Amino acid sequence: MLTIENLSVSYGLHRALAGVSLTVNPGEIVVMLGANGAGKSTLLRAVAGICEGGATGHIDISGKDLLSRKSDEIVEAGIAFVPEGRGIFGDLTVWENLMLGAYSKRAQRAKDKNLKWVLELFPKLIERKDQIARTMSGGEQQMVAIGRAMMANPEVLMLDEPSLGLSPLLCQELFGNLSHIRETGMGVLLVEQNAKQSLAIADRGYLIENGEITGENNAQAMLNDPAVQAAYLGAGAAKD
Amino acid sequence: MDILLSGLLLSGTYALIAMGLNLQYGVARIMNLANGEMLVLGGLAAFWMYTAAALSPLLTALIAAPLAFSGNWLLYRYLLLPLVRRAKTQGQLEVDSILATFGMSFALVGIMVSIHGEYFTYSYLAEPFKILGQTVALNRLVAFIVAIGIGGGLYYWLTHTYQGTAVRAVSVSTEAAGLVGINVERVSAFAFALGGAVTAVGGTLISTFITLEASVGVIFTMKALIIIIMGGVGDIRGAIVAAVILGLVETTVASVIDPGLTLVAAYVIFLAILLFRPQGLFGRRA
Repeated sequence: MLTIENLSVSYGLHRALAGVSLTVNPGEIVVMLGANGAGKSTLLRAVAGICEGGATGHIDISGKDLLSRKSDEIVEAGIAFVPEGRGIFGDLTVWENLMLGAYSKRAQRAKDKNLKWVLELFPKLIERKDQIARTMSGGEQQMVAIGRAMMANPEVLMLDEPSLGLSPLLCQELFGNLSHIRETGMGVLLVEQNAKQSLAIADRGYLIENGEITGENNAQAMLNDPAVQAAYLGAGAAKD
Repeated sequence: MDILLSGLLLSGTYALIAMGLNLQYGVARIMNLANGEMLVLGGLAAFWMYTAAALSPLLTALIAAPLAFSGNWLLYRYLLLPLVRRAKTQGQLEVDSILATFGMSFALVGIMVSIHGEYFTYSYLAEPFKILGQTVALNRLVAFIVAIGIGGGLYYWLTHTYQGTAVRAVSVSTEAAGLVGINVERVSAFAFALGGAVTAVGGTLISTFITLEASVGVIFTMKALIIIIMGGVGDIRGAIVAAVILGLVETTVASVIDPGLTLVAAYVIFLAILLFRPQGLFGRRA
């Protein structure tokens, strides 16, 4: 279980996050909605240990303190992160990307099981295993990125805008795949612009504005909340 | 044919020293301007052991490699890592590391001058050897074979082993490497140390057929730089092709025009690459 309490992050004088608290339970998909610049990416990057700003507060996963640890130690503690833009190794093959995903000690223990899982979820990666990752399409690269993160054997998987740049059809496929990940018992923390599709697969949601959490509810209630509909689902969605 | 053969033999050691700088710049992200001094130190060790103890330079290489590895590891850990941690951007780190290693190169030259201020003259396997109907110096041939062996082994390790793949991963992206659980600082320190060891071994090999002296390092730094920029940073195959081109051009210019112009030719190639293909021969545009 990932617990974040009173997390604040500042870049110099600019405060990007102000006292954010949230939890992600095992097997649960939590989505975080907010406008550009609200602090969503900063939150994920701070948890993953790659945020340049100064962070205060408390982050822990199953009792292990994570605040201000290095990114490789955070992976070892049980958090995998797919950053915006995917962060795959473009010059390496698909197979090398997946294998490197299992670099940490915790991942090596469960490598075979996770590999089987990833290839069941993304069978396309088997035929593409020797392809250089950057020569693949955006949707395929996203499969590599998510597959590689799952190879890390995480307790919680964090994804920053995974649907960005994907076609509507690929988006649908992506969210379908994400909803399957929950079956492994992994928790998923998802930052998305695509509020409707992400809430549809999520258990709970948080709203974030100007670096503060302004709302929290179960996903179904959020989908039906007029305020959420107006802000994140567009006017048309309210009539659905 | 003669030019082709000597050019090829020369390019073997060039490829090896470019591999050394590639590990330091491509993986550890330190533009090491003291790289040539590390090479000359290797040559000094070979000269020293040969004249003092009649030890073959090939055996000296075996001793020099672990010493250079440890020395470069300490350099990275205590001099360069603080710069890496402090740097907010890659550009900042480049400026800092260029300044730090530029200064270091003078310090190393000074130390070497105080140890031995004259030419490192010794004669090892300086005898003619017939190959493909041509006569070459045996020491050049031996240096070529050893360099190809070490370079080939290194290439295999980088491309076919898990730890080697992790090193390449750091060279592609330090952030992504951290996110899969790779200890980037540890791998960078290892790559920097390995690069230094490879360069020093290259120096012991070169010293068997080129007479080095304490202040000649900067020339080899430039040659290694030309090769990795021509080949594309982090691209090992590109570096090998670039090393062959540089070796052939230098040998051609030296034998057809004037030996004094080899550096001019190297510099002209360097400028042409910078102007027309800054991403390297096979590199893709960023």
